[in-house]
Amino acid sequence: MEFSDRMGQWMSGRLLSALVPVLCGFIAVLFSNLPLSFTNGLVPAPLLALVPIYFWCLVRPDLMTPAAVFGIGLLQDIMAGGPPGIWTLSFVVTYAVIERQREAFAGLSGLAAILGFATASLVATACAYATVALYYWHLPPVAPIVAELVVTVLFYIPGVFVTGVVHRRLVGPLRSDF
Amino acid sequence: MANGTWKIARRGNTQLPLVIVLALAVALVLLGKAQANLFDRARTTIIDRLQPVLVVVHTPVVQFDRWIGSIDELFTVYRENLALKDENARLKQWRNVAVVMQDRVKRYQALLHAVPDPDIHSVLTQVIGRANRPFLQTMILDAGSASNVKPGQAVVDARGMIGRIYLTGQHTSWVILLTDLNSRIPVTVAPGNHQAMMVGDNTAMPTLDTMSQTVTLHAGDQVVSSGDGGLLPPGLPVGTVVSQGGQYRVALLSDAASAQDVEILAFRKPPEQLPTDAQSQLPAVAAGLKPAAPPPPAPASATPAQPAQVAAAHPKPAAPKVAPPAATATPPAPATAPPAETAAPQATSPNSSETSADQTDQDR
Repeated sequence: MEFSDRMGQWMSGRLLSALVPVLCGFIAVLFSNLPLSFTNGLVPAPLLALVPIYFWCLVRPDLMTPAAVFGIGLLQDIMAGGPPGIWTLSFVVTYAVIERQREAFAGLSGLAAILGFATASLVATACAYATVALYYWHLPPVAPIVAELVVTVLFYIPGVFVTGVVHRRLVGPLRSDF
Repeated sequence: MANGTWKIARRGNTQLPLVIVLALAVALVLLGKAQANLFDRARTTIIDRLQPVLVVVHTPVVQFDRWIGSIDELFTVYRENLALKDENARLKQWRNVAVVMQDRVKRYQALLHAVPDPDIHSVLTQVIGRANRPFLQTMILDAGSASNVKPGQAVVDARGMIGRIYLTGQHTSWVILLTDLNSRIPVTVAPGNHQAMMVGDNTAMPTLDTMSQTVTLHAGDQVVSSGDGGLLPPGLPVGTVVSQGGQYRVALLSDAASAQDVEILAFRKPPEQLPTDAQSQLPAVAAGLKPAAPPPPAPASATPAQPAQVAAAHPKPAAPKVAPPAATATPPAPATAPPAETAAPQATSPNSSETSADQTDQDR
């Protein structure tokens, strides 16, 4: 009885820790897409969902799978209100790039780590821009997407801090299993 | 940053292959291109659920915005006050002029028996959210299909048009702003009544594509909605023409960033009525065939005028052969077609039928 209880707790904890990265992605999408602005719309909302995708793709890719990234991108598409599928494709392409260059990205620290995230954000925004250009068959203005990129990179520092805390508290204890 | 702190885990073996997910994402984009309203229901449902939260949260956010803005205004309040007093005095003069002109227009309309402007019902509502995305500039209003708000309706503030509704939930609706990439509004530029298309490009001033290449616009020309297409009411103030880099743009009158209370105009163009004297306007003989005869008098429950018009509007070649005797008595219209009012009674009268038949023979 005691053994089964312990097993149940272990399994539920394991399931929770497996869901945490995806849930963080969903929460980030909801937060960044709330139709509220403290700057009267002058500053665009950051792509907060890229932070957990980037972070867990490097640290625990078994928990941040392509299917999870697809789901996060889908929610971003639904909430953002733009052409369907744009952010889903961008997030999946970004994930593919990070996954291919995982060793290089994971080896970065300090300012270089921010530059690494900036590179991933650049891939995501460039992919979204190119897809929208093909979608409408004309080039949209560059300034809004550049502003989005800059704001996203600026939000990486607080974002990765929160993600790190969540990882240590909820996901981290199980990392020794891998 | 991450590598210095945490151990890197190995990849899971059970994950869906990346290639399949990529293919799914591309398929989603293509599907979205084919069906642009793919996520509309999900969007409206989520925002409808969030509506009570947005209403509550929006107020302190607006207060915060105003507080931030007021810090900047503290330094210019005296100068701005003088400018506003000056502007107010000028606007009062213009108001008097407008009242006189409005009265004059009403008298002219009465003299000319002009069709009066349609009444436009409106729904006054509050902005509960704004979103400034790279590919979508929108605002969310606190009124939806429950308040009879429908897609396509114009949204205006006190100064002019802001945009139009493109998505409605039960209690919320999304507005596509005039500056948005997807916005295209038919407009008229005055003076000269030049027709143009105002196209948003995610910048503060939408571009103006004139229908004719020879048209020359001038800075300061007024831009109003043309009403083409019947979705938007004509004459809604939109902005003024600005020339920028060899391209015409529109400086909008409204300020979507600061608007809080807006009106949704429930405009619906009245359906076009068929002319009542269609029969008399038809040529007497078209392609060697006479117009089809009107059908025999209908029972009391039917309206007599409509079937006759329809029959006259679509003359059938075989009609004279199979038509009943009464129908053959239809008077052939002379070269100058008589009014329908005089022709119709003749067809129903036996005496006049004979006369008409004789006349038909003479024409032959």
